[in-house]
Amino acid sequence: MSAPGAPGALPVAFALWRRSLNEVLRVRGALLPATIAPVVFLLGMSGQFGRLTGLDGFPTDSYLSWIVPLSCLQGAGFAGAATGSNLARDIEQGWFDRLLVAPVSRPVLLVGPILGAVTRSLVPATVVLVVGLALGAELPGGIPGLIALYVACAGFCAVAGLWGVFIALTFRTQQAGPLMQQGVFLAVFLSTAYTPEVLLRGWLAGAAEVNPVTQVLELARQATVSGIEPSVSNTVPGLLALAGMLVAFGALALRRLGR
Amino acid sequence: MNAAREGRVVLALGRRSLSVQFRRAQLLMPTFVLPLMLLAVIASGTSAAQDLREFPDVASYLAFIVPGTIIQGALLAGLTSGAALAADIEFGFFDRLLAAPVRRTSLVIGRQAGTLGLSVLQTVFFLLVALVFGARFPGGVDAALATIVLAGITAVGLGGIAAAIALRTGSLALLQSIFPFVFVLLFTAPAFFPRELLTPVLRDAAVYNPLTYVVEAVRGLLAGDSALGDPWVGLAAALGLAIATTALATFALAQRLRSL
Repeated sequence: MSAPGAPGALPVAFALWRRSLNEVLRVRGALLPATIAPVVFLLGMSGQFGRLTGLDGFPTDSYLSWIVPLSCLQGAGFAGAATGSNLARDIEQGWFDRLLVAPVSRPVLLVGPILGAVTRSLVPATVVLVVGLALGAELPGGIPGLIALYVACAGFCAVAGLWGVFIALTFRTQQAGPLMQQGVFLAVFLSTAYTPEVLLRGWLAGAAEVNPVTQVLELARQATVSGIEPSVSNTVPGLLALAGMLVAFGALALRRLGR
Repeated sequence: MNAAREGRVVLALGRRSLSVQFRRAQLLMPTFVLPLMLLAVIASGTSAAQDLREFPDVASYLAFIVPGTIIQGALLAGLTSGAALAADIEFGFFDRLLAAPVRRTSLVIGRQAGTLGLSVLQTVFFLLVALVFGARFPGGVDAALATIVLAGITAVGLGGIAAAIALRTGSLALLQSIFPFVFVLLFTAPAFFPRELLTPVLRDAAVYNPLTYVVEAVRGLLAGDSALGDPWVGLAAALGLAIATTALATFALAQRLRSL
């Protein structure tokens, strides 16, 4: 129960959401790394591996269309992981200790920053999508596909944000930043990032099969890959994977916060 | 006598540059771990590419893409040492060095010596890990040694660019935020795929990227097949890059001193 006169959970979450959005407006270039890195990967990967679509079993003849959702997820993931870096900075500078003594429940302290990250993730996801479309990626999934893509990005951003929060609360230093980003990097690339499951060989085939991000990518690829049409069967596994990861990483973050 | 003294200065600064980086593991993690992660994922994720008709006949796909990892390591070694120099400038250590009775160019070359050392360690590490995971290098030990030399010179060249930016701006944050641009240089070279199989735009761009010739040279050396890349052309490209960017860094230092 809140103390008499204490603000409710919603206004607190809203205020913290506004505060995390101010990072974008007041810190010049705050979103640049999360936006530029996926665009560079998009251009580089499609240029390097574009000819892979000539292999039997590749569902589309446009590698750019295959890789755009991956880069969107990557950008959203980096935006999410930045929540952890920002929290680590707040811990180092003592701001988070002051929040902890505020008369609000502790999970509310995480809701605002995670919502802020999800809002911020719209920027890299949209920039990557626009660059991809401008360079010739297709959009056969139409509006339903686009919705699936943005849901996948928002959900993955929240997962990455909770992972970043867990790492920040564990190590309590900004120096753990690379660990947050490399977690996102690994999660995305240990999936069907470059080729569909049928073309994966060796250990990566096994890893991609059990990695829930593979399902999230399928969800996102409904927008741009002609062989993966928007449908319930392509959507539900991705949503379930996102829900599972949110519960798992949310529990880890909350447990660490409780300590 | 003077040359011997300056040599000792360069060596001391190079050693310091290396030990500072090894004491800050968060700086080293991306340079050693990230290229290996990318190698593992690309090796397994794109090995079906060997089924493409135009793909060259190679003994080991892993060995074919290791040169990309080595050059990525060289890029990151250069960037990391540029970031460390920017940190020295921001925290005032570089100003103390400027007051020391040594030639100013030794300060730049000393930093480059540290980059060279880091690159040698990285390349040996990458080659050993690739060997453990089944890569075969028909070029043998001589080719591996030549690869280490080529990668070292390339890292010095890329470190020169980072040092020039650090000296010009003195901003650690800027050096850290140019990290994604490292991949522009990597991806505009045939780092992980044969040049003939790159998309036309990238194939055209690759001609102007000196790393193209270095990565192909390393590929040719390790595979023992000069059709994949000419080692001498790679050496010329790496040396040209190193000389040009060290001159650029020295010029940036002179500019900085003028503005003090």
